[in-house]
Amino acid sequence: MIGKLIGIELMKIKRKGIWFLTVLGPIGVVALQIVNYSVRKDYLLQQSEDDWLFYLLNTSSITPFAIILGIVILTSFMASIENETNAWKQLVAMPVSKYSIYLSKYTVLLFLLLLSASLLTVFTFIYGLFLDLGEVVPYRELFMYSFYPLFAAFPVLGLQLWVSFVSTNQGIPVSIGVIGVILSYSAYVIPDWLIWKWPSLMNQWDEPLINVWLGLAVGFILYFIGMLDFHRRDVK
Amino acid sequence: MYHLLDAEWLKLRKSKITFIMFVGPIVGMILGLTVSTDMFPDEINHWFSTLMVMNLTYALLFLPLITGVLASTICRYEHQAGGWKQLLALPVTRGKVFIAKYLLLIVLIFAMQVLYLGAVVTIGFIHQYTDPFPMEIVWKSILGGWVATFPLAALQLWMSLMFKSFAAPLAVNVIFTLPAILAVNSEKVGPYYPWAQPFSMMYIGGDTKDVFFIPWEQLITVVGGGFLLFFLCGYIYFQRKAV
Repeated sequence: MIGKLIGIELMKIKRKGIWFLTVLGPIGVVALQIVNYSVRKDYLLQQSEDDWLFYLLNTSSITPFAIILGIVILTSFMASIENETNAWKQLVAMPVSKYSIYLSKYTVLLFLLLLSASLLTVFTFIYGLFLDLGEVVPYRELFMYSFYPLFAAFPVLGLQLWVSFVSTNQGIPVSIGVIGVILSYSAYVIPDWLIWKWPSLMNQWDEPLINVWLGLAVGFILYFIGMLDFHRRDVK
Repeated sequence: MYHLLDAEWLKLRKSKITFIMFVGPIVGMILGLTVSTDMFPDEINHWFSTLMVMNLTYALLFLPLITGVLASTICRYEHQAGGWKQLLALPVTRGKVFIAKYLLLIVLIFAMQVLYLGAVVTIGFIHQYTDPFPMEIVWKSILGGWVATFPLAALQLWMSLMFKSFAAPLAVNVIFTLPAILAVNSEKVGPYYPWAQPFSMMYIGGDTKDVFFIPWEQLITVVGGGFLLFFLCGYIYFQRKAV
């Protein structure tokens, strides 16, 4: 049943610009680096011994921020699909549980975000090769800087999905999202316990994996809270 | 025209706008609380240094992004349940409806700027600054930031009229706002990029002889030109929009 629901969701997001944005996100992140490196490549290469790692660090300074923006836009899009035509009623009237509706939408979003992260890995790799940064490609770091921020952003995904599905006025989740974006942009200065800091992979122990595990755990909890609240509420 | 604005205000009052309006000062407070004036030498007025750090993120990202959210909010009630049909069936021209919406939008942005100023002052009290409050400079920055959002507001109003959802105008907004992070670092592109203007106009390190922190030519060509372009496009689009 859940497979069919996911199929339906995938059908609904066609021709709405969602796929386009999923691809555009990683392109945008790498494009900013293309601009950065074409303007001052010599300067940037002088900055570090390990050019590949420095390049990855540069790219990853934008990634958390792009992921949070992507989450805000995509979750709001997912809710708008139903909100715009009052389709929640029809969807919930089908012989499926509200839990599986929530799960199917979450799965589709997760799939889109994972696709985005994979594309980011590929684009980063291709432009890195083009820059000719050295023989040894740090594959481990390449994957790490593309996927870790996404895993660490799961709590934000859980929160945004929850808020946008239960509010009829999408202004609220979007405003919360904008606050989140600003917080993640100020990740250097905000305390460790704020979920918007986690995608930056910074913490006082200097161990990115802590953010990933925390992200997965808290993301799971927020997903459950959101799902239970969605189930409990009336369909407007 | 007055009645249209009155009607807009009435519709707005019940749309959870207060929450969105207070996002501005909340963000200001968060940014302000992270400021530590120890980073700056003591001779510099503490209000200055605080405002400099706060404006960095506020003007570069927050102001352009929230302008779009506000634009979508004021079009929301018409997008639902055939609101455009009802509104345009009234004896008002489409042009006037568009202008009323735009005026409302810039008034809201101005209100948010004032609330942000309130946040700046509050931060000063929390940190117990004793330096004189640089009234003139602060107003320049607040008003300048407001004027710089005029073209952005026009584009976002156009996008919000076009799309029902909040997400699509936001995506357009993000696509144009993010490059501003790079643009403000470039002396060549920065002055010509409309989305970098709120930052340039609020950045208090600029030339203080003019009325605003950027030269008049730049204000008129980039901000004025951008405003004219987006406003006219939105205006024409709305004239032809099928409701």
